[in-house]
Amino acid sequence: MSSKPLREIADIVRSKNAGPYRITFDIMFTDRARYEAVRDSGAITPQTVADAYGIELSQISSFFKIDQAMAIKVTIIRPRAQGAAGDGDMYGCQHHVPLMNIAVPAT
Amino acid sequence: MEKQKSITVLTPTGTLGYGFGAEALARGMSLGPDVIAVDAGSTDPGPSYLGSNKPLVSDYSIRRELKDLISAAHKAGIPVIVGSAGGAGTASQVDRTVALVRSIVSELGIHLKLAWIYAEIPVERAKAAVATGDIVDFEAGAPLTAEILDETCSLVAQMGHEPICAALDAGADVIIAGRACDDSVIAAYPIWKGADPALAIHMGKILECGAFSAEPFAMDVMLGTIHDDHFVLEPGSSKRRASVKSVAAHSLYERENPFSQGGPGHLMDLADCSFEQLGERQVKVTGARITETEDYYVKLEGARLAGYRTICIAGLRCPTLATAIDGLLEEVRAKAIDYFAPEEVTITFHLYGRNGVMKELEPAPPSGHELGLVIDVVADRQELAHAVCHQISGGLLHYHYQDIINPSGNLAFPYSPSDLDIGAHYEFSAYHLMKVNSPTEFFPLHLEDL
Repeated sequence: MSSKPLREIADIVRSKNAGPYRITFDIMFTDRARYEAVRDSGAITPQTVADAYGIELSQISSFFKIDQAMAIKVTIIRPRAQGAAGDGDMYGCQHHVPLMNIAVPAT
Repeated sequence: MEKQKSITVLTPTGTLGYGFGAEALARGMSLGPDVIAVDAGSTDPGPSYLGSNKPLVSDYSIRRELKDLISAAHKAGIPVIVGSAGGAGTASQVDRTVALVRSIVSELGIHLKLAWIYAEIPVERAKAAVATGDIVDFEAGAPLTAEILDETCSLVAQMGHEPICAALDAGADVIIAGRACDDSVIAAYPIWKGADPALAIHMGKILECGAFSAEPFAMDVMLGTIHDDHFVLEPGSSKRRASVKSVAAHSLYERENPFSQGGPGHLMDLADCSFEQLGERQVKVTGARITETEDYYVKLEGARLAGYRTICIAGLRCPTLATAIDGLLEEVRAKAIDYFAPEEVTITFHLYGRNGVMKELEPAPPSGHELGLVIDVVADRQELAHAVCHQISGGLLHYHYQDIINPSGNLAFPYSPSDLDIGAHYEFSAYHLMKVNSPTEFFPLHLEDL
């Protein structure tokens, strides 16, 4: 089966702080069929997201499929608190790339 | 209080001082809003604004925008509410914003009742709450302790809508609130007028970022109107529209759980919310539910001084460096730690072009023809941070490595001096929930007739 990176299927893949200790990711769609295909593909799960970032599953703090918003939301625990020495992304807004590069089966 | 048929809140922008369009404000005001409410802060810019008490946005921008808002509100006879004044909502940031309001009112030659509300939590009071078990962790990952509180130089709590309603009860025309829950700033006036708190708080969650919930999104004017069982959102500018997509998207923004969100004294259930397009530019929202919690908790935000920082910025262009750099950085780090022992310093290398943004989370292989390096040193005093940073930058400049082809220097510095003292480095020290006796206990109200 052929696959495509998530960024070619989703309309928005974004990251942002959700408080100083979390980074939350939103994968959003404007088309229900595309949303449902990704939602049900098994390609985007807490485990595949953990793998994309090289972190333990325990560092995924939550994972939601939000049908009414046609969105998938996943949140990770920051490796270091926002603004702590060594943090490279104060707003957490440039952490989306490994997620958007996850391969999703093409439908 | 007798309930109004509908209540309209105008939010001019996502963060006071970040701008809004004159056309958007004029059009928004023509729709007859009942209040102007705007957020001025967040933890998003990091712990420095909380720890240092320095304002997030310049006095110039705050003054310019508040003048337009106070002037428009005065003509319309409606109040202005600002939350999280100054960025972190500390007492001195509230005082700074209050001083700007006094100056604006004097310049406009108008009279009004000014209210301000502090959000400082006395450290001793928080220590007492630790002792009685009235503080629980929110997301910091560790319990708050008396020791951490002793190190904390700035401690605020997010107020709910109640202290702002108290200012409205007192007849305030302009309210400058310290740290406040973003949605409470928007929700306070509608709740004070008798609107359903669930709808008001949900509307606050979307409206607090201004026209970020519109398309095309921007820091600009957004309006929300609460009716009996729903609210309607509409951007101020006729060049933007609210769509189900833009509003639903914003409901997810900057928060972890889209279905359930706690706030001061309440829990919001958003699982059954729905969004409906009304015409081209409006979205109708229904379905939020609220439960009051048995105990009233407020969220604490604390910062501590964690040292002083010096940085050095340099470019690396030689391809032989790209293969050697990881080893070189570890060698110069080890040398610096050894040289300055027993002093304790924190050395970070932000290597742009490699993993400067995401550090250990970066999965991509090295690429690109040049690298950007920020040497970042934090120590317990500025002169030590500077000494360590220069020892590293000078050492790296003339460091020999295998396959070196250009032995005259490894770092391209854009600046002289090469090492820049950044000043105090703050870190978050508290992000916990504290049980309070009443919603207004720590949020004293002050009034002044101008």
